[in-house]
Amino acid sequence: MSASQSAVRSRAEAVAVSRTFDWMILFVLFTVVLGGYHIHFMLTGGDWDFWSDWKDRRLWVTVVPIVAITFPAAVQACLWWRYRLPIGATLCVLALLLGEWINRYMNFWGWTYFPINICFPSQLIPGAIILDVVLMLSGSMTLTAVAGGLGWGLIFYPSNWPVIAPLHQPVEYNGMMFTLADLSGYHYVRTGTPEYIRMVEKGTLRTFGKDVAPVSAFFSGFVSVIIYFLWHFFGKWFAGTGFIADDAS
Amino acid sequence: MAATTESVKADAAEAPLLNRRNIVLGMLLYFVFYSWVRWYEGVYGWSAGLDSFAPEFETYWMNFLYIELVLEVVVASALWGYIWKSRDRKVMSITPREELRRHFTHWTWLIMYGWAIYWGASYFTEQDGTWHQTIIRDTDFTPSHVIEFYLSYPIYIITGVSAFLYAKTRLPTYQEGLHLQYMVAIIGPFMILPNVGLNEWGHTFWFMEELFVAPLHYGFVFFGWAALGVLGVLNTEVIAIGKLIKKDLM
Repeated sequence: MSASQSAVRSRAEAVAVSRTFDWMILFVLFTVVLGGYHIHFMLTGGDWDFWSDWKDRRLWVTVVPIVAITFPAAVQACLWWRYRLPIGATLCVLALLLGEWINRYMNFWGWTYFPINICFPSQLIPGAIILDVVLMLSGSMTLTAVAGGLGWGLIFYPSNWPVIAPLHQPVEYNGMMFTLADLSGYHYVRTGTPEYIRMVEKGTLRTFGKDVAPVSAFFSGFVSVIIYFLWHFFGKWFAGTGFIADDAS
Repeated sequence: MAATTESVKADAAEAPLLNRRNIVLGMLLYFVFYSWVRWYEGVYGWSAGLDSFAPEFETYWMNFLYIELVLEVVVASALWGYIWKSRDRKVMSITPREELRRHFTHWTWLIMYGWAIYWGASYFTEQDGTWHQTIIRDTDFTPSHVIEFYLSYPIYIITGVSAFLYAKTRLPTYQEGLHLQYMVAIIGPFMILPNVGLNEWGHTFWFMEELFVAPLHYGFVFFGWAALGVLGVLNTEVIAIGKLIKKDLM
């Protein structure tokens, strides 16, 4: 086409075209990220996220932030560096949570009849806001990785506290004491019932009971820093606009 | 220049830049179809999907599988064949306005791809998790797999390849070669389907119902990452559309 030609006939039409594309782009970005992030998350941290009796003070707190910081870091790498949009992490997390909530209602409850209060998803929005705000205020990937990544890990357990605390209340059942979440799990036995495969509340230093969650969160934040760096670079690669040779053209 | 070429119909200049009806109808098509599928799962998953050796399993689930596989091959062949056969052989000669119109159509395809990805990678994949947490499998073709692997995945593959083919055959932006991240965004999620082979091979050795995060599933994870290739497509499109509009929008 001619370098002097424009596809639009007025500034008003240009604005309308631009705004329409904004909405189309946002929808595509939201849904595609939702799909990719969700399949990644459910298959790397899903079991701890699916069930309240998996939401323990050690592995849930450790695993979920580490595997969940991936897509937010990658999308931030594109949306901030190219468009100065400080919404990458929040967009990812909102997409993931929407997909999860729809699924938990329509399928976990709607198809296989698990009550929602045993299969609600983990809360990740506060951590995402921290990542976006640190990046927006600092404009620094390094600071976002270190301060934001650490904050992402540290805030995960507190941000889930309001919803998980009632389920961690102790109950006595047939002479044994355990949590309300465990009791729910006993009544809704699954192939992945955690007491069967022993992947919750384990460790040789369980005598430090009250310290488990903060130590796990700190370790999770540390690994999240490293994963953030890695995935930020992944995001820059995925945001590339290069072509490779096409023999047909 | 371009208005005189064969590639642009005389009335194309007056056609709307974006046909919103296509977006609404396309999304409704998937929504209504998948709602019906979900109803079918709800009814026949429990009544006919628990024992793969039962005659009703063959009736309601294996026949569903055979029919969907045939339909998918037919639809993919027809759709991809049509897009390729009707390609614009003078794509570099189109007017800027026609090019903008095609970018809108291209984004209509991308919206359908995103919508299909949501249903396949999010809705039906996590749904498979709760089914296997509830029912021990006795076949590779469980009710959830018949829908997830062999229906929702092929649908997003057909949609995604169609979007890619549309861009490649009708938009000057993509004539430079093969857009690497576009291929990543299409081929990566496509590879999730062949990875089902690894998944089923593993599950014939081990049940592993108890752990959705088992390493056997990491192939799905790896190829799921490829969805991020949409970022590269987004950047390429923003550059191309910006050049077409050539207006200061601030």
